[in-house]
Amino acid sequence: MAGGTRVAVTGLGLVNPFGGDLTDFFGRMLRGESAIRLYKREDKGLRPLAVPAVRCEKFDAMALLGGPLSYTMDRYSQLGTAAALSAWRDAGLPDTKGAPRNDWGVSWGTALGGTLTFESGYIEMLCNGRERVPPLSVVLGMNNAAASHISIQLGLGASCATYSVACASSAVAIGEALSKIRSGEATLMVVGGSDAPLSYGVVRAWEAMRVLAGGDETSAVRACRPFSSDRQGLVLGEGAGAMILEDWDLAVQRKARIYAEFAGYGSTSDHSHLVRPNADGQMRAMRMAIEDGSLATDEIDYINAHGTATREGDPIEIAAIRGVFGPRSKAVAVSGTKSMHGHMLGATGVIEAIVTVLSLASKEAPPTAYLQNLDRECAGVHHITGESLHGDFRAALCNSFAFGGSNSVLAFRAAH
Amino acid sequence: MEKDNLTLLAEFLKKRENIDPAQVKPEATLEELKVDSLLLLELLFEFEDRLGVKIPNDIPPPKTVGDLLGIVEKLMPGKGA
Repeated sequence: MAGGTRVAVTGLGLVNPFGGDLTDFFGRMLRGESAIRLYKREDKGLRPLAVPAVRCEKFDAMALLGGPLSYTMDRYSQLGTAAALSAWRDAGLPDTKGAPRNDWGVSWGTALGGTLTFESGYIEMLCNGRERVPPLSVVLGMNNAAASHISIQLGLGASCATYSVACASSAVAIGEALSKIRSGEATLMVVGGSDAPLSYGVVRAWEAMRVLAGGDETSAVRACRPFSSDRQGLVLGEGAGAMILEDWDLAVQRKARIYAEFAGYGSTSDHSHLVRPNADGQMRAMRMAIEDGSLATDEIDYINAHGTATREGDPIEIAAIRGVFGPRSKAVAVSGTKSMHGHMLGATGVIEAIVTVLSLASKEAPPTAYLQNLDRECAGVHHITGESLHGDFRAALCNSFAFGGSNSVLAFRAAH
Repeated sequence: MEKDNLTLLAEFLKKRENIDPAQVKPEATLEELKVDSLLLLELLFEFEDRLGVKIPNDIPPPKTVGDLLGIVEKLMPGKGA
């Protein structure tokens, strides 16, 4: 650990496809309930789309944020700001818009930013013959819009940065905030990420990579099956999550509820291939997070895996876990919760970090849903299947491994 | 015509900023109606779209509702802009 300052997780918030609150969401994760449904759309002049996906259909930006604010935001910013405000309330923090804090900041992640704004502009110009796009297109679409909205709404004057690291975006955003609090540059950071990737073009692009799981009305719910011998790929989703990170001593001083300690962060690059992950890069990231958190490898009792359910990715991640934990791997509980909430791209890291933190706090970790036939290549760890696992978990890792070879691992220590 | 444009403006501000249409009078300043630089861009875009005019980039920044409507008025067909 770099310095003496410890970092507490004191607030959690999200916008999730079930439409309920944090407790409702985590309860469903523990019960192995999938939010994946068949996503169908028919656009004028375009081939109809029907793929399993995860959508936040009940999300009502106008009701949560009000009209004036919602109109100036792409959906990814609406989701993100709603999640951040929810985490803020969860942490019991005061209204700071009128009394800004220059020692509090934002660290956000998004993979695609305002892709819906861009797509609607292209459709207007190229399909509908319009000669121009709305004047807010730039500020709606830009990748740092969500972070800036959060900073403005909460009056946060320290660093406001956005990380775009594909599927690891919000995990990197969370990790990079750690040093800001340790160094004293900030005493509180709102961290997380958001993405709204279900535009026609984005879905088609992922389809063309042949990594999207197929399914129909009936089978869509079980389309994403990490570590399963019959896994068939990932499921795209939209969503947002946010956490409040605070200087531990200040959190204790203000009698905040502490969910867990954010203990360590590991960040590495595979430096080998754009899409094929590399066990060595992943192992280095896990070891780095453990060491950075002054943890012993033996203290890690749970891992929320990246587990996208691609043929190639899952066995490599399990091999990396076996490489780090050796003979003890069989005792390390692992689950891939994308089987339920899908792959929310830039938001997925924080959603999984929230699941990890709640698993430590509640001593209950969710299963990998629909893991009935374990792929032999993915064996060697304690896969949580069927039901949730109760355990006095001491510490946990949350893995995020992005296309491009960027690896980000977050290590949390139980606060109890 | 000015009345129509005033109504258009009032409807836009009601929808976007929940401004009471009664407040939208020629002498009202754009600042008190919460029209910042971004919202002004959208307003100009809306007028261009609805009225089929092209507002130049180098217009003097309007301070009041009257200023804004004056700019639009001058550009409308038959007004000899």
